[in-house]
Amino acid sequence: MASVQNTSHEKPLLEISGLKTVFPTDDGIVNAVNDVSFKIDRGQTVGVVGESGCGKSITGLSLLQLVPSPGRIEGGEIQFYRNGEEAPLDIAQVSPRSELMREIRGNEIAIIFQEPMTSLNPVYTIGNQIAEAIVLHEQVDKKTARERAIEMIARVGIPAPTQRVDEYPHQLSGGMRQRVMIAMALCCSPTLLIADEPTTALDVTIQAQVLGLMQELQAEMGMAIMLITHDLGVIADLADEVVVMYAGRVVEKGTVDDIFYNPLHPYTQGLLKSIPVLGRTPQKTLPSIPGTVPHPLTLPVGCSFQARCSERMPELEEVNGETENGGHAVRCWLHTF
Amino acid sequence: MKLLQVNDLRKYFPIQKGIFQRTIGYVKAVDGISFDVQRGETLGLVGESGCGKTTAGRCLLRLIPPTSGSFIFGEEAVDLAKLTHNEMRPYRRRIQMIFQDPHASLNPRMTVGDIVGEPMRVNRTEKGTALQDRIVELLESVGLRSQDTRRYPHAFSGGQRQRIGIARALALQPELIVADEPVSALDVSVQAQILNLLAELREKFQLSYIFIAHDLSVVEHISDRVAVMYLGKIVEISDAETLYQSPKHPYTEALISAVPLPDPSAQRKREHIRLEGDVPDPSQPPTGCYFHPRCRYATDICKQETPELRQVASGVQVACHHSDTLALQGV
Repeated sequence: MASVQNTSHEKPLLEISGLKTVFPTDDGIVNAVNDVSFKIDRGQTVGVVGESGCGKSITGLSLLQLVPSPGRIEGGEIQFYRNGEEAPLDIAQVSPRSELMREIRGNEIAIIFQEPMTSLNPVYTIGNQIAEAIVLHEQVDKKTARERAIEMIARVGIPAPTQRVDEYPHQLSGGMRQRVMIAMALCCSPTLLIADEPTTALDVTIQAQVLGLMQELQAEMGMAIMLITHDLGVIADLADEVVVMYAGRVVEKGTVDDIFYNPLHPYTQGLLKSIPVLGRTPQKTLPSIPGTVPHPLTLPVGCSFQARCSERMPELEEVNGETENGGHAVRCWLHTF
Repeated sequence: MKLLQVNDLRKYFPIQKGIFQRTIGYVKAVDGISFDVQRGETLGLVGESGCGKTTAGRCLLRLIPPTSGSFIFGEEAVDLAKLTHNEMRPYRRRIQMIFQDPHASLNPRMTVGDIVGEPMRVNRTEKGTALQDRIVELLESVGLRSQDTRRYPHAFSGGQRQRIGIARALALQPELIVADEPVSALDVSVQAQILNLLAELREKFQLSYIFIAHDLSVVEHISDRVAVMYLGKIVEISDAETLYQSPKHPYTEALISAVPLPDPSAQRKREHIRLEGDVPDPSQPPTGCYFHPRCRYATDICKQETPELRQVASGVQVACHHSDTLALQGV
């Protein structure tokens, strides 16, 4: 489906290839992101799904050169096609502290985090914090920035924006705070929004509000969204393309229908079977994936999923490559031959 | 057979102000809820944060004193709410709790053997080698190994820690287990393992559960009956399948609609009911039906009169003025 929707001559917005982000620790090097490749088209929503520790958040942070110390990007490319420029910029080569990176952050690629309380500064009003982002990236005076902030607050559906602009984060509910985060992220009309578990801390009815808001704003402003989450329901609701990660690697990627209706990797299959689905006649026992995610320092040689895999072939040990199958790719020996 | 009957449970937290700590109001965390739990049954208690589901669970164990209400427990039909601290002791063994956060609910300085053995030492039910054997037996019944007794909680993953918490809850052979969000801190693949374990243990030891959670799909999976709470009140109780297929309360309908289904084409076809606004402040609840400001079916009567929880069909209780006339959609 993807190949039909996006004509091949058109350039993507972002193309990640062979990205490797490592964390040197006292006990060895942790490959948090290991040979990750996927692309994001303009205006598209790409869902990145996986369990904790699979490297999905670090992939998001790598795109902004925000990998926390001592982590660093060790290899691969992040080709970012900036507005109005023919040749892509490789973000992996840009220094995290450079002027160029600061120009991109918040302005062209913005991020919203899971916990809206810790990502807002408690001692500044929300208006101040949104205006700060505008003043940083655009040549406007404070008054205009404040007006723009009020406009953004109204746009994310917060009632009484002229009063709310002078309130502090603690005066807002969780859902409202996440709306403020979205307002702040979108105030400079980025071309890519990275949403890292944007609704995990919220209640279901509030989650529905925030997800709906993100869809509306995407239709209006046309930005691409990289949606990082562990919730397959959220992915099914929002994503066009899905990237499934396990232990730092992409194990499967494809359109949302490919992943949900024709999953090829045993991990994707197991994940989909192991979640209870509302309204589906409950089975007595859920088919669960045995065992736990392996420790990142003691990953097995070969496929990281082998110890938990029902289809394991003991004679095959090396890591296999991805097989392209009309945009639906999987990293598994079962589908290599 | 009825194991527990809760009648009109209330828990009001006073709001105090000034140097004299004058009480200026109350947060009605739990505002008159009644339900029962049958032996061998799992009752799901579901609702959004702040709806009082955790407070209700803690009141049942008398971890916090209830403001009013009665809990009639067991064959002897004792009212647990009236017992003194000492009289409560023998009943504490029979009701145990599993907590949400497996990292915070285990003492990091105690070995797993000590953690699981502690309830038996405190209650003097076992000692010496019998105690050690019992610890191993418990660990094995939750899928851990006998050599794990000497290890410390930090050496275990989240799912394994939750297994330790479950073994501890089973130590005194309880009849009722209150499980407060036991799987919400776990990863999807591990969550399924713990849900299966809880179901298996229920069969094996004839347990009853009160399963408190915010995730409707998880609650539907494990529960026989489900009670939906909103702002300290139960708005609907029904058996799990009926509740999800034909909800009778507009809030239940909205909750079900808000859960994104992991099925893209079904998700595209569904009608999405989006509730406006947030859950109101429980210290200043709205008049009439607490849900009316967010309800799309609300009429004048909803603003004035508080609907009582009433029986509308066999096993189905709803607190809504319009439940007879509304045709609500489930999944």
